[in-house]
Amino acid sequence: MTATKLVEKAMAKAQGAQASLIKTESTNVAFENDKLKSSRTSQTTRVAVRVILDGKIGSCSTTDAGDIDGVVAGALDAAEFGSPIHFNLPGAQEGTDVKVYDHAVLPVTKEEMVHICEEMLSALKGHNADILVNAGIGKSSSSAEFANSSGIQFATETTSFGGGVSGVWVRGTDILWAGRGHGSRKRELDHLAIARKAVELFKMAEKTAPAQSGEMPVIFAPEGMHVLLLALRMGFNGKNVVLGASPLRGKLGEAIAHAGLSITDNPLIDHAAASSKYDGEGVPRQVTPIIRNGVLENFLYDLDTAGRASAKTTGHGIGCSPTNLVIDEGDTTYEDMIRETREGLLVHSVMGLGQGNPMSGEFSVNVQLGYKIENGEIVGRVKDVMLAGNTYDALKNIDAIGDKAEWVGGTLLTPPVKIRGMSVVAK
Amino acid sequence: MRERMERALRKSTVEYAEIRLEEVSSSWVAFRGEELDRVGSSRNVGGIVRALTRGGWGYATFNDLSDLETRVAEACESARLVGKGTSNFAEVEPLVEQTSAKLEEDFREVPLSRKKSVIEEYNKIVLGHHSKIETSDVAYSDSFRKLWYANTEGTYIEDERPDVTVRVSATARDGDNVQRGFESAAGGSGFQIAEGLHEKAETAAKRAVDLLSAPSVTGGKYTVVVNPRLAGVFAHEAFGHLSEADFVYENDRMKELMTLGKRFGPDFLNIIDDGNLPARRGTHKYDDEGVRTRENYLIRNGILVGRLHSRETAAKMGERPTGNARAVGYQFEPIVRMTNTYIDSGDADFNDMIADLKLGLYAIDMVGGQTSMEMFTFSAAYGYMIRDGAIAELVRDVVLTGNVFETLMNIDMLGDTVEWPAVGGGCGKGAQSPLPVGFGGPYVRMQNLVVGGRQ
Repeated sequence: MTATKLVEKAMAKAQGAQASLIKTESTNVAFENDKLKSSRTSQTTRVAVRVILDGKIGSCSTTDAGDIDGVVAGALDAAEFGSPIHFNLPGAQEGTDVKVYDHAVLPVTKEEMVHICEEMLSALKGHNADILVNAGIGKSSSSAEFANSSGIQFATETTSFGGGVSGVWVRGTDILWAGRGHGSRKRELDHLAIARKAVELFKMAEKTAPAQSGEMPVIFAPEGMHVLLLALRMGFNGKNVVLGASPLRGKLGEAIAHAGLSITDNPLIDHAAASSKYDGEGVPRQVTPIIRNGVLENFLYDLDTAGRASAKTTGHGIGCSPTNLVIDEGDTTYEDMIRETREGLLVHSVMGLGQGNPMSGEFSVNVQLGYKIENGEIVGRVKDVMLAGNTYDALKNIDAIGDKAEWVGGTLLTPPVKIRGMSVVAK
Repeated sequence: MRERMERALRKSTVEYAEIRLEEVSSSWVAFRGEELDRVGSSRNVGGIVRALTRGGWGYATFNDLSDLETRVAEACESARLVGKGTSNFAEVEPLVEQTSAKLEEDFREVPLSRKKSVIEEYNKIVLGHHSKIETSDVAYSDSFRKLWYANTEGTYIEDERPDVTVRVSATARDGDNVQRGFESAAGGSGFQIAEGLHEKAETAAKRAVDLLSAPSVTGGKYTVVVNPRLAGVFAHEAFGHLSEADFVYENDRMKELMTLGKRFGPDFLNIIDDGNLPARRGTHKYDDEGVRTRENYLIRNGILVGRLHSRETAAKMGERPTGNARAVGYQFEPIVRMTNTYIDSGDADFNDMIADLKLGLYAIDMVGGQTSMEMFTFSAAYGYMIRDGAIAELVRDVVLTGNVFETLMNIDMLGDTVEWPAVGGGCGKGAQSPLPVGFGGPYVRMQNLVVGGRQ
């Protein structure tokens, strides 16, 4: 195994080492402006080495699997004056099995992928022939090896399959983009449901509705939840906590959100896009409740950050980033949420997120795709509207949580969430 | 390399094929807080074959350079599966050229230890600035990209693209209030770019602390003056993306909307994209399909006069290629991108721009922007209210939004000097990010701009 060889090579000088090798092959087809435009095959290789030398750490990576000497030498060079280490390399521990491979993915032909795209395209064109449609489908398979100097050694095979459809509809100077997509580790993909959801976005936007400036309730559709989750993702990242940059530092055990809100990081969902048995440091993945009934329960840590925080790794190495985030369903139907809104916004996607000071929770974004609700009905698309607020205020101000969660982009499973009042500035 | 590439291309069975290979050596050092956060290096090699037949494209990307013939065959097979119509691909003169980067101080010969000690100084400045500074993120990175390009028309290009970037971010904290100050420096001329940035470190730290006591801007409609460092990103988001022909060339309604000769702004407005300007971040002699870069006027005297093309979009629209087909790396095919985009100067003085404003907003420095073609946002690092013709209090969370069919028309004053901040800047389009681009402009004043925030 190459990873083992890399570790052996590094250990001639180092006191600890880990190495990984990932090889991926993928195939995609893409439609642009209603026509089949391109087909792509990709082959990637990545070798990464991390070494510990005199209490310091250094890393190096390459795409050249033949350059074992070079990549080990690079890591040793970096470690000579690298960052101080706050952990011991873990030994082998048995993780929980999770399905990350589907035998049905590899046999899918380019022709089948073209056919799936064609069906999504016809669904959009069938709704409105004036929409110019883009569609794409891709499959890939990876093999990964991991080893460290404390006895961990394993190999994994994974697959992934996914795609989506989007369109642009131009009327006068009005330009509307909308689309949907999904990806997972299995072949199963309800592409017609994806297309139906995309059609729904266009249907609701047939009329443009004027929006007034002021404070109003806002319903975040599942794909709009990124607006609220961005600050939170940064806030529960263990590294930001250790450094004091996170506003959540020191708040474990405190109620930071409405009692109905529970958020869990779950890398053990079969076939979910970010699922895996072990993290990038060979530590078994685990389910980590982050917020339970509104109370902050855990931060996400990798080995080094956990060492600095005097905590235990949560299996989020390297980098303390979430895997699959799951938000628990509430008890309000999506229909009731809309029906019970006298005047408000339904937000699907925004522009300008994360550009300012996202860690603070503040956001001020243009509603790229959003709808006006009046007297319990969606009356049309809003344009030239800015939405502003603070994630941490909004989480305490939740009015309702939807009773049905949906996957967004393959790594977020969330219901729609209604916030009582947010600031809207219209033209 | 040339011989290997040309031999592989002879196996092409399609109308047009090209190979682009890259070797990228990078290194990085970063501090977060007191401690060194990461240090490392990488060496990546890879390539892409692009094949065109009957209007269909086949791409093969790879890290393993040992069998180029097979990659050419794969791309040709993909193209044949896709191609059902007629290819559109503008003619360009084949050329052979080898260019090499001129570095004042070659960063590849600078040991990691010196890279570390340079940014350690900046990190100390940030952390020592004030007791309210909570942490820092101070990072050095460099990359040296060597490119080989060959196509079936006989063009062969070797190019080198060096880049050095330093980013200084300071985080200040007062209870739950967390604010950030950010400065950067970037360029392709060598390691010296990373040196002497002590003042920038001081500035970033001071801003983070100052913003702790600044209120969020009150949302609403304002007359807004943007400084040159924000004007460039405004030009890029407000208009630049809409001038990329791949959004237009197969969309009849967009073509109507973007007919050359149409008025988009006042008489004194000129917006230009120029990939051939000396020493700017988006400058290359040739784009990634071997077309010479040049000056392209997009708006002249308020009128739409041009757009940015690849060879395919140019042929399809019956216009000339402009040298704007760019790829962020070997994993991707070139697509229509901006290079260095700027608003040309007018004749106003900054003081005249604010003198007659009872209430306005002065928005300073960019942190980013985004567009959906018609609507766009761009974010300032901070701003000041303008009250009774004078600069008043500092404000934060300044995000501006506009509509391309209205906002450019609402520009009523342009400053008399174009500035090109030497900051790191990257543009994202589709999956390709970040692509180095240059932003430039003078002070710009706009009426009736929507500013997000609470009321």
